[in-house]
Amino acid sequence: MESLTSPVKAAHPDGAVYGTVLDAEVALRFSTLDAEYEAIRERAALLDLSGERIIELSGGGATDFAQKVLARDVEYLTAERCMTSLVLAEDGTVVDQVVVWGREDGLLLESSTGAGTRLLEHLRAHAEPGVEITDRTAEHALFGLEGPYAWGVVGRLIDGELAALPFESVVDSQWDGVDILFARTGVTGEYGYKVLVPRESAERLWTKALEQAVPAGQEAVELAMLEVRQPVVRHEAGEGVDVLEMGAGWLVDITKDEFVGRDAVVAAFEGTAERRTVGFSGGTEVPEPGTPVTVGGEKIGEVVHAVHSVGLKSALGLLRLPPDLAAAGLKVTVGDTEVTTLTSPYVTPKSWSTPII
Amino acid sequence: MNLDELRATAAARHDTCAQIKKMIVSRLDLPIEPAWITDDQPLFGRGLELDSLDVLELYVAIEAEFGVALYDSDMSVFGSVSRLADHVNPALVEQAPTGSA
Repeated sequence: MESLTSPVKAAHPDGAVYGTVLDAEVALRFSTLDAEYEAIRERAALLDLSGERIIELSGGGATDFAQKVLARDVEYLTAERCMTSLVLAEDGTVVDQVVVWGREDGLLLESSTGAGTRLLEHLRAHAEPGVEITDRTAEHALFGLEGPYAWGVVGRLIDGELAALPFESVVDSQWDGVDILFARTGVTGEYGYKVLVPRESAERLWTKALEQAVPAGQEAVELAMLEVRQPVVRHEAGEGVDVLEMGAGWLVDITKDEFVGRDAVVAAFEGTAERRTVGFSGGTEVPEPGTPVTVGGEKIGEVVHAVHSVGLKSALGLLRLPPDLAAAGLKVTVGDTEVTTLTSPYVTPKSWSTPII
Repeated sequence: MNLDELRATAAARHDTCAQIKKMIVSRLDLPIEPAWITDDQPLFGRGLELDSLDVLELYVAIEAEFGVALYDSDMSVFGSVSRLADHVNPALVEQAPTGSA
């Protein structure tokens, strides 16, 4: 399967820096991390989500199939709603984290960045009669708007009424005479919106949106996700790591009778976890994954993932520790640096105190 | 601070978080075990998906259970169970160790 590239790459600002995330080439930065982060947390940022594959489930058996492959309950997901769910392998490890868009005649699954090929292979491996699995990525472009004033951009760009939709609403709408699919959903804790637009109109919409919002690349988005403890699967789900160790149990509905990976998840919920994940900050050096965590020279865990937080002005990341030590407010040593474990969210989104007017 | 002292500090937070989870499940009649909620789990919107009516119920429940009034607090109090624990049991923040590991 071909790797994904942005259909609006030609309209990206000059100087954009690209990188490969799994099966996708994505813009890591359009300008600077600081400027893009500031747009997400203080104003409005425009995201090119072309690294996320759009997979349609259709046919009479689509809902039953989705119930089987998704870890959350989508039986009553209407065409006006979306939700986030994990997709698990039989052993309970994470295949992907997806946004499920309800549709009249099936569902759309939006993969995480670069994970679409793996997701598609997983879905096809579990395919059943009565369900069609179709990769629709090449027909569309997906853009995001995130920030405490993203609602204003939605109002100026598309329709003010869409800005105040309830969280996780989906609406079939129009932009400049073009049919679009609009959702209020995001990943940074700020006001978040997504627009699925036909590919032939994508560059026009991207260019128009650039007049209203600052483009933000993958690095700024992943930093903002980490700050509100939104999982970034490719950083957090290693081999043999279950959803509880990952701290993503909230993306699984264990009350659902059946789904791929359920037995392993139930066993994890009923068992004694060996490790749990907790956030930390401290120091200016960003430790590598696997860096030991120690107390008094004794190793108690390791670093999962870390970055430099623009908001906290220090290293920020996740540690995997024994359950009895996985708590906020502890001083531990990462490498040679003393750090403090944190209460989530690590940065409080401005949108939580910014009304839509 | 040695390992045993860190464990004691962590246990105090885990106890308060467990009390909060039990209160949330009981007061809001959620069909889940309290232990299934993680300390870092968002409570509103994504996460536990509580809504504004649930907030009102939780205000009353928190005051009854912990004797803490949060009515004038901003929504960040409900950012996670662990964040809520900081507010209903301020001793957790005060007793966090400050010495070297």
